[in-house]
Amino acid sequence: MSESMTDGNGDGVDLDRVWVNVAAQVWHRSPGPLERSAARLLRSPGLARALFATRSLLLPWLISSVVVLGVGVVAEVSAGQPLVWLIAPVLAAVGMAYAYGPGVDPAWELSCSMAISDRLVLVTRAVAVFTVNAVFGLAASVLTLGTRASADAAPVTFGWLIPMAAVCALTLAVAVAARSASVGVGAGVAAWIILVLTRSSVSDQFTAAVTDANLYLPYLAVAACCAAVVIIVTRTQKGLQ
Amino acid sequence: MDDDELITSLAGGDDTALRELFARHAPWLAARLRKALSSHDVEDVLQETFLAVWKSAKAYRPQGTPEAWLWVIARNQAALLLRRRGPAAQAQLDEGPLAADPAESAAVRADLAAAAAAALGPPGCPERELWRLLYEEDRPVAEVAELMGVPEGTVKSRAHRARRLLRAALQGGPR
Amino acid sequence: MNIELTDITRKFGRNKAVDGVSLTVGPGVFGLLGPNGAGKTSLLRMLATVLPPSSGTLRLLDRDPASPSACAQIRRRLGYLPQNLGYYQSFTVVEFVEYFALLKEMPPNRVPKAVAAAVERVDLGPKAKARLRTLSGGMLRRVGIAQAIVNDPELLLFDEPTAGLDPEQRVAFRTLMRDLGQTATLVVSTHLVEDVGAACSEVALMAEGRVVFRGTPEELTAQGEGHGVGDSPLERGYSAVLSASRKQVAA
Repeated sequence: MSESMTDGNGDGVDLDRVWVNVAAQVWHRSPGPLERSAARLLRSPGLARALFATRSLLLPWLISSVVVLGVGVVAEVSAGQPLVWLIAPVLAAVGMAYAYGPGVDPAWELSCSMAISDRLVLVTRAVAVFTVNAVFGLAASVLTLGTRASADAAPVTFGWLIPMAAVCALTLAVAVAARSASVGVGAGVAAWIILVLTRSSVSDQFTAAVTDANLYLPYLAVAACCAAVVIIVTRTQKGLQ
Repeated sequence: MDDDELITSLAGGDDTALRELFARHAPWLAARLRKALSSHDVEDVLQETFLAVWKSAKAYRPQGTPEAWLWVIARNQAALLLRRRGPAAQAQLDEGPLAADPAESAAVRADLAAAAAAALGPPGCPERELWRLLYEEDRPVAEVAELMGVPEGTVKSRAHRARRLLRAALQGGPR
Repeated sequence: MNIELTDITRKFGRNKAVDGVSLTVGPGVFGLLGPNGAGKTSLLRMLATVLPPSSGTLRLLDRDPASPSACAQIRRRLGYLPQNLGYYQSFTVVEFVEYFALLKEMPPNRVPKAVAAAVERVDLGPKAKARLRTLSGGMLRRVGIAQAIVNDPELLLFDEPTAGLDPEQRVAFRTLMRDLGQTATLVVSTHLVEDVGAACSEVALMAEGRVVFRGTPEELTAQGEGHGVGDSPLERGYSAVLSASRKQVAA
């Protein structure tokens, strides 16, 4: 299909091969230090590349998350009402929905035929997105520690991590099953809002969704069930990937 | 685009300009190198030549012809290859098709003079003046010291500094 | 044999998209012809290990893709161009091809040269650093072909590869197919009869999930003698075989 680069040169010199070798070095962009570190950690340059191509781990996305949490921090400090615990799970859920799957990956069909299985990509991205959002959320929570009453400081500062896991798992399960990131986000955010409002009206405490320790086990159970749904939906056949 | 424009363009990161330059000049460079080297060596030298062109295009000054510039780079790459093979192979540098061409040597000197001017400062400044006397006019250290009114030790240390400045300026240029 | 299918069936609900197909395919260019809904894409997706068969035996490159480790080994030596390939619009041509080269677990030190060779082979060298969002449909199709061939695969699967290519590019692509078929098994699924005639050494015609013809393009052409429907001998053969299979089903 390719035309020769030159008119051809006798004497056994393959100029097309020379050009390919030149182009290989001119076109290639070496991975950055973060990607190289990820490749060593994951023991797979391909998996590292897939991770760094995750939409919700790209710089603009991360900056948006920081901005949203920053607004939450400012609002919490000025109003004295804890808000980070409310926002962090939503942000993480949105990030999770756009990390993986047929709803967001235009080359999904092709990705399913790769040696690095899409399930491995899923696990890697899910862990990375969750971790990044958890770190952001914890940082925001610690910044606003002073606004909380000592009794519920710990649950409100850290306790939202468990419901965040449940909301993320639910979002991912719906996104994968419905093959739509938007549907996943809608389901996850709606579930979280309903839960927050329900718990706060029952217990008369706005932060009940994260401070009530009786809810932790159900949250973990929901996360496990949703993870199972993801495994089943992404399975092509028993034994295949 | 003419060759000077292509080189300017590829200095700005335009790989299609490099592609065009390759298409125009690789055949004759290959033919010329082939008179002294095997086809496999010609391919290696051409590859390194155009990679050097890509890296050093910013240092190109349109004083000679682009062909002369390219040939100097190619010859330097051939020299590196032959030096790695030992003295017998290296002898090819002084004879035959790879021998230095006086016109091309003049072009190289012109390029070097331009690089020196850029690296060492305007005419009249000490390093530039020393460079002119010591390396361009080939005067002995004692004579340069007398002309500049400084001790010989000062001439030597300024020469060392000038060479360092020039080396830094040529970093990433044709090897 | 690089492909061995024995009584392969694929169902979607009650619909049998592929119904009892048995095929063995070795090196060369193998055409898969048939009308829309014949089951070509479903069959190709099973060969690409994207879709499992509902029943039957599938062996690719002497391995059983039902085993995860064998499946990964197959995929490293596989090149697949789906019918509807989406692209990452912000990627450049080189970035896109390199991404999938890495996902195919090519050794990283081999990737730059393989990517450059693949991009040049599909004549996209001048557009190597262009963003995919700036490319035409035909160019995007060639990017898809480049990612399929980057790992020098032994098994190549192309689903409607010439979609969006202009006539000159289609001719060039057929030359590429013949070239690739010299060292690999290339299965081309297409509804364009002329693609098959120009490049394939063997062809199977599918209708309603079944293979209704298997042979050379010349043998398919011979089926059309005396048949009136079609602008070319190969088209007449294609129509004749399809028509006969429909009559058989109706009977």
